[in-house]
Amino acid sequence: MKLSRKMPRADVPNAAMGDIAFNLLIFFVILAKANDDSNLQWTPADGSNLQTATAVASVVVDKKGRLYLNGSEVGQEQLKASLERTMANAETEQQRTVHLKVHNKTRRDKYEPIIGAISEAGGVMIHVLNEEN
Amino acid sequence: MKKRRQNKFLIEPASSATGDIAFNLIVFFLVCASVQPDRGMKQTLPSSEQSQSKALSENLEVEISGKETVLLNRDPVFIHDLRQVLAQRFESKPRPEDRVVVVKQTPDATYDQYIAVSNAVALTGGTVTLQTEVTKTVTVH
Repeated sequence: MKLSRKMPRADVPNAAMGDIAFNLLIFFVILAKANDDSNLQWTPADGSNLQTATAVASVVVDKKGRLYLNGSEVGQEQLKASLERTMANAETEQQRTVHLKVHNKTRRDKYEPIIGAISEAGGVMIHVLNEEN
Repeated sequence: MKKRRQNKFLIEPASSATGDIAFNLIVFFLVCASVQPDRGMKQTLPSSEQSQSKALSENLEVEISGKETVLLNRDPVFIHDLRQVLAQRFESKPRPEDRVVVVKQTPDATYDQYIAVSNAVALTGGTVTLQTEVTKTVTVH
């Protein structure tokens, strides 16, 4: 008599699918930021007595000297106008705060006009630094 | 035949959800670690009109030249000593408007030196104002 062997079935557990989908959703919602500049490479300068502050705009000068506003590359001449547009309806100081992230070995001819443009646009500059011990 | 009674008072929790719990905990800690806002040094530069109204010769002048020393009113000072020197100079200047420091930079100056000087000025209660070069085109007939 031939005994038919039941082939074991390896099913994907359907009960965990909801959890997997929910976790993936959380992952991508958290990671997707509107103004993401985490891909830009720059080394912060050192400073002490730093304070935490949120900003409406982020200006980055990376190690290659390229200028980015809120993650998008811009020219130096465009920076002041772009910041003025961003802060057009700003009423409080917090609404005019700009994070300035400059690579520590950037030379004066790159960062000085940027500092001037932010000041002329009426922004409150926060130099993002590495806390030194 | 005696039947051995299985005294199982300890009920083990379902271990099938352990992976999900661990995964959720990892996500929670990653999220908490990633939403820390950036920390920095606040700086508001006086507008050029305010700077010109005050006689610049009365203020301290720091020149950054890309070296380890800066020139404080043309005297060389190590950057890491600048804070102490400024604190001594500001002892006789209680008013904030007397503690304006004019910062000049040569093309060799780097951002970390500018930050070190700005930090030293800020920690001693001073205000930084940048002296920039202005280029003007003059047509000669």
